[in-house]
Amino acid sequence: MSLRLEGVTVAYGRGAARTTVLDGLDLEFAPGVLTALTGPSGSGKSTLLAVAGALLRPDAGRVLLDGEDVAPLGDARRARVRRERIGYLFQSGNLLPGLTALDQVLTMAHVARRRPARYRDRAAAALDAVGLAHRRGHRPEQLSGGERQRVALARALVLEPSLLLVDEPTAAVDRAQAGELAALLADCAGRRGCTAVVATHDPAVTEAAGRVVALAA
Amino acid sequence: MFLVLRELRAARARFLLMGAVVALIAALVGIVSGFTNGLGDDTVSALRRLPATHIAFAAGTGTDAFARSALDPAAVRGWQAVPGVEATPVGVAIARGTTGRGVPVDLAAFGVEPGSFAAPAGLTAGGVVVSRKIADAGVRPGDTLAVDRTGVRLPVVGVTGRSAYGHVPAAYMSLATWRRVHPAARPGEVSAVALRARAGADLAAADRRLGTRTETRDAAFAAAPGYTGERLTMNSILVFLYLIAPLVVGAFFAVWTVQRTPELALLRALGAARRTLLGHTLAQAALVVVAASLAGGALAAGAGLALGAAVPFSLPAASLLGTVAAVSAAGLAGAALTLRRVASPDPLTMLGAAR
Ligand SMILES: Nc1ncnc2c1ncn2[C@@H]1O[C@H](COP(=O)(O)OP(=O)(O)O)[C@@H](O)[C@H]1O
Ligand SMILES: [Mg+2]
Repeated sequence: MSLRLEGVTVAYGRGAARTTVLDGLDLEFAPGVLTALTGPSGSGKSTLLAVAGALLRPDAGRVLLDGEDVAPLGDARRARVRRERIGYLFQSGNLLPGLTALDQVLTMAHVARRRPARYRDRAAAALDAVGLAHRRGHRPEQLSGGERQRVALARALVLEPSLLLVDEPTAAVDRAQAGELAALLADCAGRRGCTAVVATHDPAVTEAAGRVVALAA
Repeated sequence: MFLVLRELRAARARFLLMGAVVALIAALVGIVSGFTNGLGDDTVSALRRLPATHIAFAAGTGTDAFARSALDPAAVRGWQAVPGVEATPVGVAIARGTTGRGVPVDLAAFGVEPGSFAAPAGLTAGGVVVSRKIADAGVRPGDTLAVDRTGVRLPVVGVTGRSAYGHVPAAYMSLATWRRVHPAARPGEVSAVALRARAGADLAAADRRLGTRTETRDAAFAAAPGYTGERLTMNSILVFLYLIAPLVVGAFFAVWTVQRTPELALLRALGAARRTLLGHTLAQAALVVVAASLAGGALAAGAGLALGAAVPFSLPAASLLGTVAAVSAAGLAGAALTLRRVASPDPLTMLGAAR
Protein backbone atom coordinates (compact mmCIF):
# COMPACT_ATOMS: atom_id res chain seq x y z
CA MET A 1 0.00 0.00 0.00
CA SER A 2 1.20 3.47 -0.65
CA LEU A 3 1.31 5.85 2.27
CA ARG A 4 1.35 9.61 1.75
CA LEU A 5 1.39 12.33 4.34
CA GLU A 6 0.41 15.77 3.07
CA GLY A 7 0.87 18.83 5.24
CA VAL A 8 0.54 16.79 8.43
CA THR A 9 0.56 18.94 11.53
CA VAL A 10 0.34 17.67 15.10
CA ALA A 11 0.53 19.81 18.21
CA TYR A 12 0.18 18.67 21.83
CA GLY A 13 -1.11 20.68 24.77
CA ARG A 14 -2.96 23.94 24.74
CA GLY A 15 -2.38 27.60 25.45
CA ALA A 16 1.17 28.50 26.40
CA ALA A 17 2.08 24.82 26.74
CA ARG A 18 1.14 24.10 23.15
CA THR A 19 4.01 22.62 21.18
CA THR A 20 3.91 21.73 17.51
CA VAL A 21 5.63 18.38 16.96
CA LEU A 22 4.97 17.86 13.26
CA ASP A 23 4.56 21.00 11.19
CA GLY A 24 3.15 20.64 7.70
CA LEU A 25 5.04 17.45 7.01
CA ASP A 26 4.97 15.98 3.48
CA LEU A 27 6.28 12.42 3.07
CA GLU A 28 5.64 9.47 0.82
CA PHE A 29 6.39 5.80 1.51
CA ALA A 30 6.49 3.19 -1.21
CA PRO A 31 5.45 -0.47 -0.99
CA GLY A 32 8.27 -2.99 -0.68
CA VAL A 33 10.60 -0.55 1.03
CA LEU A 34 11.66 -0.46 4.66
CA THR A 35 12.03 3.18 5.68
CA ALA A 36 13.95 4.03 8.83
CA LEU A 37 12.72 7.09 10.66
CA THR A 38 15.47 8.65 12.71
CA GLY A 39 15.82 11.75 14.80
CA PRO A 40 16.55 12.64 18.39
CA SER A 41 14.20 11.64 21.15
CA GLY A 42 11.21 13.96 21.12
CA SER A 43 11.52 14.74 17.42
CA GLY A 44 8.12 13.20 16.70
CA LYS A 45 8.90 9.71 15.39
CA SER A 46 6.23 7.98 17.46
CA THR A 47 3.78 10.74 16.65
CA LEU A 48 4.38 10.28 12.94
CA LEU A 49 3.84 6.53 13.19
CA ALA A 50 0.63 7.10 15.16
CA VAL A 51 -0.68 9.47 12.51
CA ALA A 52 0.26 7.09 9.71
CA GLY A 53 -1.30 4.23 11.65
CA ALA A 54 -4.71 5.92 11.96
CA LEU A 55 -4.22 5.98 15.72
CA LEU A 56 -3.88 9.75 16.08
CA ARG A 57 -5.82 12.34 14.10
CA PRO A 58 -3.55 15.12 12.88
CA ASP A 59 -4.57 18.70 13.58
CA ALA A 60 -4.17 19.43 9.90
CA GLY A 61 -3.19 17.61 6.73
CA ARG A 62 -4.08 14.44 4.95
CA VAL A 63 -3.02 10.85 5.59
CA LEU A 64 -3.54 8.89 2.41
CA LEU A 65 -3.56 5.10 2.55
CA ASP A 66 -3.78 3.94 -1.06
CA GLY A 67 -5.24 7.30 -1.88
CA GLU A 68 -7.91 7.25 0.85
CA ASP A 69 -7.61 9.98 3.47
CA VAL A 70 -8.00 8.37 6.92
CA ALA A 71 -7.40 11.60 8.86
CA PRO A 72 -11.04 12.74 8.94
CA LEU A 73 -12.45 9.31 9.81
CA GLY A 74 -14.19 8.80 13.13
CA ASP A 75 -12.95 6.66 15.94
CA ALA A 76 -14.66 3.41 14.93
CA ARG A 77 -13.67 3.73 11.25
CA ARG A 78 -10.03 4.34 12.14
CA ALA A 79 -10.06 1.33 14.48
CA ARG A 80 -11.29 -0.72 11.57
CA VAL A 81 -8.52 0.57 9.29
CA ARG A 82 -6.00 -0.41 11.96
CA ARG A 83 -7.24 -3.94 12.49
CA GLU A 84 -7.77 -4.71 8.83
CA ARG A 85 -4.85 -3.08 7.09
CA ILE A 86 -2.10 -2.17 9.52
CA GLY A 87 0.46 -4.13 11.49
CA TYR A 88 1.70 -2.10 14.44
CA LEU A 89 4.59 -2.90 16.72
CA PHE A 90 4.74 -0.59 19.71
CA GLN A 91 7.86 0.37 21.56
CA SER A 92 6.81 -1.58 24.64
CA GLY A 93 3.86 -3.21 26.32
CA ASN A 94 2.94 -5.17 23.23
CA LEU A 95 1.96 -8.42 24.89
CA LEU A 96 -0.98 -9.45 27.05
CA PRO A 97 0.02 -10.96 30.39
CA GLY A 98 -0.54 -14.67 30.86
CA LEU A 99 -1.05 -15.53 27.19
CA THR A 100 1.23 -17.87 25.25
CA ALA A 101 3.15 -16.62 22.22
CA LEU A 102 0.73 -18.42 19.91
CA ASP A 103 -2.27 -16.84 21.64
CA GLN A 104 -0.63 -13.41 21.43
CA VAL A 105 -0.50 -13.82 17.67
CA LEU A 106 -4.04 -15.20 17.51
CA THR A 107 -5.25 -12.17 19.45
CA MET A 108 -4.86 -10.17 16.24
CA ALA A 109 -7.46 -12.40 14.56
CA HIS A 110 -9.75 -11.87 17.55
CA VAL A 111 -9.25 -8.10 17.34
CA ALA A 112 -10.07 -8.24 13.62
CA ARG A 113 -13.33 -10.06 14.45
CA ARG A 114 -12.25 -13.28 12.79
CA ARG A 115 -12.28 -16.77 14.28
CA PRO A 116 -8.89 -17.31 15.94
CA ALA A 117 -9.24 -21.09 15.58
CA ARG A 118 -8.99 -20.70 11.81
CA TYR A 119 -5.69 -18.86 12.12
CA ARG A 120 -3.73 -21.38 14.13
CA ASP A 121 -1.65 -22.55 11.19
CA ARG A 122 -0.97 -19.03 10.01
CA ALA A 123 -0.05 -17.92 13.53
CA ALA A 124 2.32 -20.84 13.92
CA ALA A 125 3.88 -19.98 10.56
CA ALA A 126 4.25 -16.33 11.62
CA LEU A 127 6.05 -17.40 14.79
CA ASP A 128 8.18 -19.70 12.68
CA ALA A 129 9.08 -16.82 10.37
CA VAL A 130 10.37 -14.73 13.28
CA GLY A 131 12.36 -17.71 14.54
CA LEU A 132 10.16 -18.54 17.54
CA ALA A 133 8.66 -21.86 16.50
CA HIS A 134 10.07 -23.38 19.69
CA ARG A 135 8.56 -20.66 21.91
CA ARG A 136 4.90 -21.06 20.92
CA GLY A 137 3.74 -22.08 24.38
CA HIS A 138 5.82 -19.51 26.28
CA ARG A 139 4.27 -16.62 28.17
CA PRO A 140 5.69 -13.08 28.11
CA GLU A 141 7.48 -13.50 31.44
CA GLN A 142 9.28 -16.53 29.99
CA LEU A 143 10.60 -14.58 26.98
CA SER A 144 13.52 -12.19 26.56
CA GLY A 145 12.98 -8.59 25.42
CA GLY A 146 13.99 -9.44 21.87
CA GLU A 147 11.77 -12.51 21.80
CA ARG A 148 8.81 -10.45 22.99
CA GLN A 149 9.33 -7.96 20.19
CA ARG A 150 9.49 -10.82 17.70
CA VAL A 151 6.22 -12.28 19.05
CA ALA A 152 4.67 -8.84 18.57
CA LEU A 153 6.12 -8.72 15.05
CA ALA A 154 4.56 -12.10 14.29
CA ARG A 155 1.25 -10.70 15.56
CA ALA A 156 1.66 -7.59 13.40
CA LEU A 157 2.26 -9.75 10.35
CA VAL A 158 -0.19 -12.63 10.81
CA LEU A 159 -3.07 -10.96 8.96
CA GLU A 160 -0.68 -9.85 6.19
CA PRO A 161 -1.16 -6.10 6.55
CA SER A 162 -0.18 -3.84 3.72
CA LEU A 163 1.32 -1.28 6.11
CA LEU A 164 3.77 -2.23 8.85
CA LEU A 165 4.66 0.38 11.48
CA VAL A 166 7.36 -0.35 14.03
CA ASP A 167 8.36 1.91 16.92
CA GLU A 168 11.92 1.51 18.26
CA PRO A 169 11.89 -2.28 18.20
CA THR A 170 15.44 -2.67 19.46
CA ALA A 171 15.25 -0.31 22.43
CA ALA A 172 15.28 -3.16 24.95
CA VAL A 173 17.23 -5.67 22.89
CA ASP A 174 20.91 -6.65 22.75
CA ARG A 175 23.06 -6.06 19.66
CA ALA A 176 22.86 -9.55 18.19
CA GLN A 177 19.08 -9.66 18.52
CA ALA A 178 18.79 -6.14 17.12
CA GLY A 179 20.53 -7.31 13.95
CA GLU A 180 18.15 -10.28 13.61
CA LEU A 181 15.12 -8.07 14.13
CA ALA A 182 16.36 -5.55 11.56
CA ALA A 183 16.85 -8.34 9.05
CA LEU A 184 13.33 -9.60 9.70
CA LEU A 185 11.85 -6.15 9.07
CA ALA A 186 13.78 -5.68 5.85
CA ASP A 187 12.72 -9.15 4.80
CA CYS A 188 9.04 -8.36 5.46
CA ALA A 189 9.13 -5.32 3.23
CA GLY A 190 11.22 -7.00 0.54
CA ARG A 191 9.41 -10.30 0.36
CA ARG A 192 5.84 -9.39 1.16
CA GLY A 193 5.93 -6.06 -0.55
CA CYS A 194 4.38 -4.22 2.35
CA THR A 195 5.07 -0.59 3.14
CA ALA A 196 7.23 -0.66 6.26
CA VAL A 197 8.28 2.25 8.46
CA VAL A 198 10.47 1.81 11.50
CA ALA A 199 11.33 4.51 14.04
CA THR A 200 14.82 3.84 15.36
CA HIS A 201 18.15 5.10 16.66
CA ASP A 202 19.79 1.80 16.04
CA PRO A 203 22.49 1.66 13.34
CA ALA A 204 21.72 -2.05 12.88
CA VAL A 205 18.24 -1.07 11.77
CA THR A 206 19.16 1.94 9.63
CA GLU A 207 21.70 -0.22 7.80
CA ALA A 208 19.03 -2.79 6.97
CA ALA A 209 16.59 -0.11 5.79
CA GLY A 210 16.24 0.85 2.15
CA ARG A 211 15.73 4.50 2.98
CA VAL A 212 16.35 6.75 5.94
CA VAL A 213 14.22 9.77 6.83
CA ALA A 214 15.56 12.02 9.57
CA LEU A 215 13.23 14.19 11.64
CA ALA A 216 14.68 17.36 13.09
CA ALA A 217 14.21 18.07 16.78
CA MET B 1 -14.75 -16.27 23.62
CA PHE B 2 -11.09 -16.29 22.61
CA LEU B 3 -9.81 -13.83 25.18
CA VAL B 4 -12.58 -14.63 27.66
CA LEU B 5 -11.18 -18.01 28.61
CA ARG B 6 -7.54 -17.05 28.23
CA GLU B 7 -7.88 -14.07 30.52
CA LEU B 8 -9.81 -16.16 33.02
CA ARG B 9 -7.01 -18.70 33.03
CA ALA B 10 -4.33 -16.04 33.31
CA ALA B 11 -6.07 -14.42 36.29
CA ARG B 12 -7.68 -17.54 37.72
CA ALA B 13 -6.79 -16.85 41.34
CA ARG B 14 -8.65 -13.54 41.27
CA PHE B 15 -11.63 -14.93 39.40
CA LEU B 16 -11.82 -17.93 41.72
CA LEU B 17 -11.90 -15.59 44.67
CA MET B 18 -14.68 -13.52 43.18
CA GLY B 19 -16.50 -16.64 42.03
CA ALA B 20 -16.29 -18.06 45.54
CA VAL B 21 -17.83 -14.91 46.99
CA VAL B 22 -20.68 -14.99 44.46
CA ALA B 23 -21.15 -18.72 45.04
CA LEU B 24 -21.39 -18.17 48.79
CA ILE B 25 -23.90 -15.37 48.30
CA ALA B 26 -25.95 -17.60 46.00
CA ALA B 27 -25.73 -20.43 48.53
CA LEU B 28 -26.84 -18.12 51.30
CA VAL B 29 -29.71 -16.81 49.20
CA GLY B 30 -30.69 -20.41 48.44
CA ILE B 31 -30.50 -21.47 52.07
CA VAL B 32 -32.44 -18.44 53.30
CA SER B 33 -35.05 -19.06 50.58
CA GLY B 34 -35.22 -22.68 51.65
CA PHE B 35 -35.86 -21.69 55.23
CA THR B 36 -38.36 -19.04 54.15
CA ASN B 37 -40.29 -21.65 52.18
CA GLY B 38 -39.86 -24.30 54.83
CA LEU B 39 -40.91 -22.09 57.72
CA GLY B 40 -43.77 -20.75 55.62
CA ASP B 41 -44.92 -24.29 54.88
CA ASP B 42 -44.63 -25.17 58.52
CA THR B 43 -46.73 -22.17 59.43
CA VAL B 44 -49.46 -22.14 56.82
CA SER B 45 -49.41 -25.39 54.82
CA ALA B 46 -52.68 -26.42 56.48
CA LEU B 47 -54.25 -23.21 55.14
CA ARG B 48 -52.61 -23.62 51.75
CA ARG B 49 -54.18 -27.08 51.50
CA LEU B 50 -57.59 -25.65 52.24
CA PRO B 51 -59.40 -25.41 48.90
CA ALA B 52 -61.02 -22.10 49.88
CA THR B 53 -60.88 -18.70 48.19
CA HIS B 54 -61.62 -16.71 51.34
CA ILE B 55 -61.83 -17.07 55.10
CA ALA B 56 -64.32 -15.21 57.27
CA PHE B 57 -63.18 -14.35 60.82
CA ALA B 58 -65.08 -12.65 63.59
CA ALA B 59 -64.91 -8.86 63.13
CA GLY B 60 -62.31 -7.12 65.26
CA THR B 61 -59.77 -9.93 65.27
CA GLY B 62 -56.43 -8.61 64.07
CA THR B 63 -53.24 -10.62 64.34
CA ASP B 64 -53.40 -14.33 65.15
CA ALA B 65 -56.97 -14.21 63.94
CA PHE B 66 -57.52 -17.97 64.11
CA ALA B 67 -56.68 -18.03 67.81
CA ARG B 68 -58.93 -15.07 68.65
CA SER B 69 -61.79 -15.47 66.24
CA ALA B 70 -65.00 -17.13 67.42
CA LEU B 71 -68.19 -17.35 65.38
CA ASP B 72 -71.58 -18.60 66.48
CA PRO B 73 -73.80 -20.98 64.50
CA ALA B 74 -75.94 -18.06 63.24
CA ALA B 75 -72.95 -16.53 61.43
CA VAL B 76 -72.10 -19.88 59.89
CA ARG B 77 -75.69 -20.38 58.70
CA GLY B 78 -75.70 -16.79 57.44
CA TRP B 79 -72.65 -17.41 55.30
CA GLN B 80 -74.09 -20.67 53.99
CA ALA B 81 -77.09 -18.70 52.77
CA VAL B 82 -75.07 -16.09 50.83
CA PRO B 83 -75.67 -16.57 47.10
CA GLY B 84 -72.59 -17.58 45.10
CA VAL B 85 -70.75 -18.76 48.19
CA GLU B 86 -70.07 -22.25 49.47
CA ALA B 87 -69.27 -22.05 53.17
CA THR B 88 -68.09 -24.54 55.74
CA PRO B 89 -67.12 -23.90 59.37
CA VAL B 90 -63.59 -24.50 60.66
CA GLY B 91 -62.32 -24.74 64.22
CA VAL B 92 -58.63 -24.30 64.99
CA ALA B 93 -56.95 -25.07 68.32
CA ILE B 94 -53.51 -26.17 69.44
CA ALA B 95 -53.44 -29.27 71.64
CA ARG B 96 -51.08 -31.90 73.00
CA GLY B 97 -51.65 -35.57 72.52
CA THR B 98 -50.06 -38.90 73.31
CA THR B 99 -49.83 -41.80 70.90
CA GLY B 100 -50.79 -45.33 71.83
CA ARG B 101 -47.08 -46.02 72.32
CA GLY B 102 -46.78 -43.14 74.77
CA VAL B 103 -45.04 -40.71 72.41
CA PRO B 104 -46.13 -37.10 73.06
CA VAL B 105 -47.12 -35.11 69.94
CA ASP B 106 -48.21 -31.52 69.41
CA LEU B 107 -51.16 -31.11 67.14
CA ALA B 108 -53.07 -28.32 65.50
CA ALA B 109 -56.61 -29.59 65.84
CA PHE B 110 -58.72 -28.62 62.82
CA GLY B 111 -62.41 -29.12 63.35
CA VAL B 112 -64.21 -29.53 60.03
CA GLU B 113 -67.41 -31.11 58.81
CA PRO B 114 -66.68 -34.56 57.37
CA GLY B 115 -67.51 -34.53 53.67
CA SER B 116 -67.16 -30.76 53.37
CA PHE B 117 -64.56 -29.22 51.07
CA ALA B 118 -62.43 -28.37 54.10
CA ALA B 119 -62.23 -32.00 55.27
CA PRO B 120 -59.51 -34.44 54.21
CA ALA B 121 -60.61 -37.63 52.48
CA GLY B 122 -61.60 -40.44 54.81
CA LEU B 123 -62.52 -38.32 57.84
CA THR B 124 -65.25 -39.88 59.96
CA ALA B 125 -67.41 -38.28 62.64
CA GLY B 126 -65.52 -39.75 65.61
CA GLY B 127 -62.07 -40.28 64.09
CA VAL B 128 -58.97 -38.20 63.40
CA VAL B 129 -56.92 -37.82 60.20
CA VAL B 130 -53.33 -36.90 61.05
CA SER B 131 -50.74 -35.21 58.87
CA ARG B 132 -47.52 -36.83 57.73
CA LYS B 133 -45.38 -35.47 60.54
CA ILE B 134 -47.59 -36.97 63.22
CA ALA B 135 -47.57 -40.24 61.31
CA ASP B 136 -43.77 -40.01 61.26
CA ALA B 137 -43.84 -39.98 65.08
CA GLY B 138 -45.17 -43.54 64.87
CA VAL B 139 -48.92 -43.02 64.58
CA ARG B 140 -50.66 -45.51 62.25
CA PRO B 141 -54.29 -45.80 61.13
CA GLY B 142 -55.98 -47.98 63.72
CA ASP B 143 -53.94 -46.46 66.58
CA THR B 144 -55.53 -44.29 69.19
CA LEU B 145 -54.46 -40.72 69.85
CA ALA B 146 -55.18 -39.48 73.38
CA VAL B 147 -55.61 -35.73 73.78
CA ASP B 148 -54.04 -34.63 77.04
CA ARG B 149 -56.10 -33.11 79.87
CA THR B 150 -59.43 -33.79 78.13
CA GLY B 151 -59.42 -37.57 78.27
CA VAL B 152 -60.56 -37.64 74.66
CA ARG B 153 -59.30 -40.72 72.78
CA LEU B 154 -59.44 -40.52 69.02
CA PRO B 155 -59.10 -43.45 66.62
CA VAL B 156 -56.73 -42.58 63.76
CA VAL B 157 -58.61 -43.15 60.52
CA GLY B 158 -56.23 -41.69 57.95
CA VAL B 159 -53.01 -39.85 57.12
CA THR B 160 -52.71 -36.77 54.90
CA GLY B 161 -49.58 -35.20 53.37
CA ARG B 162 -47.54 -32.44 55.02
CA SER B 163 -49.93 -30.09 56.70
CA ALA B 164 -49.06 -27.81 59.58
CA TYR B 165 -50.26 -24.64 61.22
CA GLY B 166 -48.02 -22.39 63.30
CA HIS B 167 -45.20 -24.99 63.21
CA VAL B 168 -47.55 -27.60 64.66
CA PRO B 169 -48.65 -30.58 62.53
CA ALA B 170 -52.34 -30.65 61.74
CA ALA B 171 -54.88 -33.24 62.86
CA TYR B 172 -58.35 -33.15 61.32
CA MET B 173 -61.49 -34.12 63.20
CA SER B 174 -65.20 -33.39 63.15
CA LEU B 175 -66.38 -30.16 64.75
CA ALA B 176 -68.16 -32.05 67.50
CA THR B 177 -64.92 -33.84 68.35
CA TRP B 178 -63.01 -30.57 68.05
CA ARG B 179 -65.19 -28.95 70.70
CA ARG B 180 -64.35 -31.81 73.04
CA VAL B 181 -60.64 -31.28 72.39
CA HIS B 182 -61.08 -27.51 72.82
CA PRO B 183 -63.37 -27.29 75.85
CA ALA B 184 -63.13 -23.50 75.97
CA ALA B 185 -65.37 -23.37 72.90
CA ARG B 186 -69.02 -22.57 73.60
CA PRO B 187 -71.67 -24.90 72.19
CA GLY B 188 -71.87 -24.51 68.41
CA GLU B 189 -68.88 -22.19 68.34
CA VAL B 190 -66.31 -22.36 65.48
CA SER B 191 -63.18 -20.28 64.73
CA ALA B 192 -63.89 -19.18 61.20
CA VAL B 193 -65.76 -20.01 58.02
CA ALA B 194 -63.94 -21.24 54.94
CA LEU B 195 -65.54 -19.86 51.79
CA ARG B 196 -65.54 -20.81 48.18
CA ALA B 197 -66.85 -17.65 46.57
CA ARG B 198 -67.70 -17.29 42.93
CA ALA B 199 -66.62 -14.04 41.27
CA GLY B 200 -69.21 -11.36 41.93
CA ALA B 201 -70.41 -12.71 45.28
CA ASP B 202 -70.99 -9.75 47.59
CA LEU B 203 -68.71 -10.66 50.50
CA ALA B 204 -68.55 -7.15 51.92
CA ALA B 205 -72.32 -6.97 52.37
CA ALA B 206 -72.34 -10.38 54.07
CA ASP B 207 -69.50 -9.25 56.35
CA ARG B 208 -71.52 -6.19 57.45
CA ARG B 209 -74.66 -8.19 58.03
CA LEU B 210 -73.05 -11.11 59.85
CA GLY B 211 -70.43 -9.23 61.87
CA THR B 212 -67.47 -10.94 60.20
CA ARG B 213 -64.27 -9.87 58.46
CA THR B 214 -63.42 -11.75 55.26
CA GLU B 215 -59.95 -12.05 53.78
CA THR B 216 -58.64 -13.94 50.81
CA ARG B 217 -57.13 -17.22 51.84
CA ASP B 218 -53.59 -16.06 51.03
CA ALA B 219 -54.05 -12.84 53.00
CA ALA B 220 -55.27 -14.99 55.89
CA PHE B 221 -51.81 -16.61 56.01
CA ALA B 222 -50.83 -13.55 57.99
CA ALA B 223 -53.34 -14.70 60.61
CA ALA B 224 -51.13 -17.72 61.36
CA PRO B 225 -48.93 -17.19 64.42
CA GLY B 226 -45.46 -15.86 63.54
CA TYR B 227 -46.01 -15.89 59.80
CA THR B 228 -45.65 -12.17 59.17
CA GLY B 229 -42.60 -11.82 61.42
CA GLU B 230 -40.85 -14.80 59.86
CA ARG B 231 -41.47 -13.48 56.36
CA LEU B 232 -40.22 -10.03 57.26
CA THR B 233 -37.02 -11.39 58.81
CA MET B 234 -36.20 -13.73 55.96
CA ASN B 235 -37.13 -11.31 53.22
CA SER B 236 -35.05 -8.52 54.68
CA ILE B 237 -32.05 -10.87 54.68
CA LEU B 238 -32.76 -11.68 51.05
CA VAL B 239 -33.09 -8.01 50.11
CA PHE B 240 -29.68 -7.27 51.59
CA LEU B 241 -28.12 -10.22 49.81
CA TYR B 242 -29.55 -9.03 46.51
CA LEU B 243 -28.08 -5.60 47.19
CA ILE B 244 -24.69 -7.00 48.19
CA ALA B 245 -24.34 -9.29 45.16
CA PRO B 246 -24.22 -6.60 42.47
CA LEU B 247 -21.99 -4.40 44.61
CA VAL B 248 -19.46 -7.19 45.14
CA VAL B 249 -19.42 -8.12 41.48
CA GLY B 250 -19.41 -4.48 40.41
CA ALA B 251 -16.49 -3.67 42.71
CA PHE B 252 -14.58 -6.68 41.44
CA PHE B 253 -15.07 -5.80 37.80
CA ALA B 254 -14.28 -2.15 38.45
CA VAL B 255 -10.92 -3.13 39.95
CA TRP B 256 -10.37 -5.74 37.26
CA THR B 257 -11.03 -3.19 34.53
CA VAL B 258 -8.70 -0.63 36.06
CA GLN B 259 -5.99 -3.26 36.42
CA ARG B 260 -6.16 -4.25 32.80
CA THR B 261 -6.42 -0.73 31.42
CA PRO B 262 -3.04 -1.17 29.68
CA GLU B 263 -4.23 -4.33 27.95
CA LEU B 264 -7.48 -2.71 26.92
CA ALA B 265 -5.51 0.25 25.52
CA LEU B 266 -3.30 -2.18 23.58
CA LEU B 267 -6.32 -3.97 22.12
CA ARG B 268 -7.87 -0.64 21.17
CA ALA B 269 -4.60 0.47 19.56
CA LEU B 270 -4.49 -2.75 17.55
CA GLY B 271 -7.93 -1.81 16.27
CA ALA B 272 -10.35 -3.72 18.49
CA ALA B 273 -13.87 -2.32 18.21
CA ARG B 274 -15.46 -1.10 21.43
CA ARG B 275 -18.13 -3.71 20.78
CA THR B 276 -15.50 -6.46 20.78
CA LEU B 277 -14.13 -5.37 24.15
CA LEU B 278 -17.57 -4.93 25.68
CA GLY B 279 -18.78 -8.26 24.36
CA HIS B 280 -15.77 -10.05 25.67
CA THR B 281 -15.96 -8.43 29.09
CA LEU B 282 -19.67 -9.13 29.37
CA ALA B 283 -19.19 -12.74 28.32
CA GLN B 284 -16.47 -13.04 30.93
CA ALA B 285 -18.69 -11.61 33.64
CA ALA B 286 -21.60 -13.81 32.57
CA LEU B 287 -19.48 -16.93 32.59
CA VAL B 288 -18.03 -16.30 36.04
CA VAL B 289 -21.23 -15.06 37.64
CA VAL B 290 -23.48 -17.77 36.21
CA ALA B 291 -21.00 -20.54 37.00
CA ALA B 292 -20.58 -19.22 40.54
CA SER B 293 -24.35 -18.86 41.05
CA LEU B 294 -24.86 -22.43 39.84
CA ALA B 295 -22.18 -23.64 42.23
CA GLY B 296 -23.85 -21.70 45.04
CA GLY B 297 -27.22 -23.16 44.08
CA ALA B 298 -25.73 -26.65 44.19
CA LEU B 299 -24.29 -25.83 47.60
CA ALA B 300 -27.72 -24.71 48.86
CA ALA B 301 -29.36 -27.85 47.44
CA GLY B 302 -26.68 -29.93 49.12
CA ALA B 303 -27.31 -28.14 52.40
CA GLY B 304 -31.02 -28.88 51.99
CA LEU B 305 -30.33 -32.58 51.48
CA ALA B 306 -27.95 -32.66 54.44
CA LEU B 307 -30.48 -30.98 56.73
CA GLY B 308 -33.09 -33.52 55.75
CA ALA B 309 -36.57 -33.47 57.28
CA ALA B 310 -35.29 -32.47 60.70
CA VAL B 311 -35.70 -28.74 60.04
CA PRO B 312 -38.31 -26.74 58.14
CA PHE B 313 -36.34 -26.34 54.90
CA SER B 314 -37.92 -26.55 51.48
CA LEU B 315 -36.16 -25.60 48.26
CA PRO B 316 -38.03 -26.98 45.26
CA ALA B 317 -36.16 -27.03 41.92
CA ALA B 318 -38.16 -24.07 40.65
CA SER B 319 -37.22 -21.81 43.53
CA LEU B 320 -33.62 -23.02 43.40
CA LEU B 321 -33.44 -22.08 39.71
CA GLY B 322 -35.11 -18.79 40.54
CA THR B 323 -32.43 -18.15 43.14
CA VAL B 324 -29.61 -18.94 40.71
CA ALA B 325 -31.17 -16.74 38.04
CA ALA B 326 -31.76 -13.85 40.44
CA VAL B 327 -28.22 -13.91 41.86
CA SER B 328 -26.82 -14.16 38.32
CA ALA B 329 -28.92 -11.21 37.23
CA ALA B 330 -27.86 -9.18 40.27
CA GLY B 331 -24.20 -10.01 39.59
CA LEU B 332 -24.47 -9.11 35.93
CA ALA B 333 -26.12 -5.85 36.83
CA GLY B 334 -23.06 -5.16 38.98
CA ALA B 335 -20.70 -6.01 36.13
CA ALA B 336 -22.72 -3.82 33.77
CA LEU B 337 -22.06 -0.85 36.05
CA THR B 338 -18.39 -1.03 35.08
CA LEU B 339 -18.82 -1.53 31.34
CA ARG B 340 -18.42 2.12 30.46
CA ARG B 341 -14.81 1.98 31.65
CA VAL B 342 -13.98 -1.01 29.49
CA ALA B 343 -14.21 0.93 26.25
CA SER B 344 -12.66 4.10 27.57
CA PRO B 345 -8.89 3.38 27.82
CA ASP B 346 -6.94 5.63 25.45
CA PRO B 347 -5.07 3.72 22.74
CA LEU B 348 -2.62 6.61 22.48
CA THR B 349 -1.07 5.53 25.78
CA MET B 350 0.64 2.87 23.66
CA LEU B 351 2.87 5.54 22.12
CA GLY B 352 5.05 6.17 25.13
CA ALA B 353 8.13 4.19 25.99
CA ALA B 354 7.25 4.16 29.67
CA ARG B 355 5.14 1.04 29.60
N1 LIG C 1 0.27 12.90 24.69
C1 LIG C 1 1.19 13.89 24.65
N2 LIG C 1 0.95 15.06 25.28
C2 LIG C 1 1.85 16.06 25.26
N3 LIG C 1 3.01 15.97 24.65
C3 LIG C 1 3.33 14.84 24.01
C4 LIG C 1 2.44 13.75 23.98
N4 LIG C 1 3.01 12.75 23.27
C5 LIG C 1 4.20 13.22 22.87
N5 LIG C 1 4.41 14.46 23.30
C6 LIG C 1 5.56 15.29 23.02
O1 LIG C 1 5.72 15.36 21.63
C7 LIG C 1 7.06 15.29 21.30
C8 LIG C 1 7.30 14.18 20.30
O2 LIG C 1 7.06 12.96 20.96
P1 LIG C 1 7.28 11.58 20.20
O3 LIG C 1 6.50 11.57 18.96
O4 LIG C 1 7.03 10.51 21.19
O5 LIG C 1 8.83 11.65 19.86
P2 LIG C 1 9.87 10.48 19.62
O6 LIG C 1 9.11 9.24 19.41
O7 LIG C 1 10.63 10.94 18.45
O8 LIG C 1 10.70 10.44 20.84
C9 LIG C 1 7.83 15.13 22.58
O9 LIG C 1 8.33 16.41 22.95
C10 LIG C 1 6.81 14.64 23.56
O10 LIG C 1 7.12 15.12 24.84
MG1 LIG D 1 9.04 7.48 20.44
